[in-house]
Amino acid sequence: MKTKKFNFNIALGVLFLVLFLGIGLKAPNFFKPNYLISVMLRNIMELGMIALPVTLITITGGIDLSLGSIATLAGIMGGMVYASTSNGFLAVVCAMLAGLACGWFNSFLVTRLNIPAMVTTLATMYLFQGIARGITQGNSVYAFPAAEWLGNFQVGPIPVQIILYILFAAAFVLLLSRTYYGKYLYAIGLNETASRFSGINTVRCKNIAYIASGLMSAFAGMIMLGRFSSMKYTAGDGMNLKVVTMIVLGGTSINGGVGTMTGTIIATMIIAVLNSGLTVLNIPIDVQTIVQGTVLLISLVAYAVIEKRNTTNGKKDKSPKTVKAA
Amino acid sequence: MNNKRAKKALPSEMALGLFVAVIFAVLCLVAGDFGSLNNIMSILNHFSYILIASIGMNIIMLTGNIDVSFGGVISVMAILMAFIGKTGAPIYVFMPAAMLCGAILCTFNALLITKLRIPAIVATLATTQIYAGVLPLLVEGSIYDLPASFTWLAFEAKIFKYVPLSVLLALVILAIALLMMKYSRYFKKLYAIGNNVKSARLAGIDVDKTVIVTYAIGGLVLGIAATIIATAGQRVTTTMGAGMEMTFIAAVVVGGTSVTGGSGSILGTALGALLLSIISPALYYLGISDSWSTAVMGAIIIIAVSVGAVKGVRHKAADAEKEEAKA
Repeated sequence: MKTKKFNFNIALGVLFLVLFLGIGLKAPNFFKPNYLISVMLRNIMELGMIALPVTLITITGGIDLSLGSIATLAGIMGGMVYASTSNGFLAVVCAMLAGLACGWFNSFLVTRLNIPAMVTTLATMYLFQGIARGITQGNSVYAFPAAEWLGNFQVGPIPVQIILYILFAAAFVLLLSRTYYGKYLYAIGLNETASRFSGINTVRCKNIAYIASGLMSAFAGMIMLGRFSSMKYTAGDGMNLKVVTMIVLGGTSINGGVGTMTGTIIATMIIAVLNSGLTVLNIPIDVQTIVQGTVLLISLVAYAVIEKRNTTNGKKDKSPKTVKAA
Repeated sequence: MNNKRAKKALPSEMALGLFVAVIFAVLCLVAGDFGSLNNIMSILNHFSYILIASIGMNIIMLTGNIDVSFGGVISVMAILMAFIGKTGAPIYVFMPAAMLCGAILCTFNALLITKLRIPAIVATLATTQIYAGVLPLLVEGSIYDLPASFTWLAFEAKIFKYVPLSVLLALVILAIALLMMKYSRYFKKLYAIGNNVKSARLAGIDVDKTVIVTYAIGGLVLGIAATIIATAGQRVTTTMGAGMEMTFIAAVVVGGTSVTGGSGSILGTALGALLLSIISPALYYLGISDSWSTAVMGAIIIIAVSVGAVKGVRHKAADAEKEEAKA
């Protein structure tokens, strides 16, 4: 089993290289280090960061569709607080508190009221976005100092958010593969009832994942606000789909129990190459939307096929989960 | 004890109906204009398309699936109808075309869900993205200056000079759905699948086929709703339906249909549709900015789902109690 997962990531790595080289050969501008760092990597960092905690949620069998709205709401909260108080510190606190509250609310609905995660976060996606729209009356909100720093500061030639992403990514890789908490998440995803009976506090484990997602989304929201220097309530539209694409492409099963953090990280890089590559090749933004959707579908189909083959070769006991999706 | 509780509790449809009636009465008292003929007709027009689309969504959700691409599909159908309608073709040409288009797109969703076993929300989110991406490539922004034959349904088709024809259309579809629910075996299959896919399959139901047919019907019905939406003006945009799926899901969930499938009623959905069609005008008449409408909609869904979840838990507890008593 372990070797198979390893192979998945190698296949993803090869896919990354092929795309990277292919696009680079077609458009030599793509290979300029400046472009790679300050466009390709810098633009994907927010999504990449959010994908880390959401991978945790997905492994437990849940999902978070509200992440884009949380990012928007947090960014807007920070911007509005700064606009009225000019207190930079308070703005950051409010933005993170907004993320914490949103994440907690999601976890409350999912773990306490037992509402399916997809439905919960689909509804809160509209609620959080609606609140962002309501408090701004549809107007733009402008960046505050901390957000500007996060979005634009550079350490030498490298933007600060890339360094932060590397730190976060390392932490999450260790968290998932080297701690009890990580193992518990896999257990919950494979069989929640069994994990509860074997003494895992499933509610707490899931709560932590959802709240981490809320906090990370809020953090990413501040980076976004800084990078664009202003933000409207629609800024987070479609982010959830991109993040889910990264996670699924990275080999995490949407039904839970299977997946690696490294896979998500490699998939993030693949999406980064695709996004900036299509821009370099002068392909219109609408086609990029289609490509996003198609990549998601293809990766879902591919993993469904692989999973089906695995289960038919081995034991057939995984079928209840897949049947439920019908 | 059990009997008493059953007597005390109103049927949830009745409770919802009362709730809607109370809101309506309060609004009429607070804002005198709310009860005006014009406003009521405009609410009814909204109600008609929300109801029609929600019935489509309802049968899909009964099977435990969902289709969040309804908004995207409406946009596609609206543009298609505008293309056909621009040539002066009458409604009985472009409406069936839209219905057919809806059926095809929704069947595609169903194939992804049943044959490839992709969870319904993810599959339909992805197709939403594809539909939303394709349209702007075909059309630049919008199709405008549509002829009078295109907007016939919205401006000229009135019963007794006031009531829009679309309302009649919606009520006919509602009646058909209610009858089907009572008498057809097909509806029983939907409940069976929603309750337990495995046992439905063992009972001899072709689950995949039924789900695909359900999506196709949902798409057909959605075509009628899209006609009402698209013909409301002389301009059709590529984002006409964006986000509308939320309203339909809300109507279905508020109406008491379980998000995990297997329970719910068309009558509840109709009342849910009525509630959602008065939200927007209600906010307007209460002097609350329209910016809050998304938040209100999201909050209503969360409340409805939570109430359903709490009820479900209680139900289970009651069942367990009964079993214990038996033992």
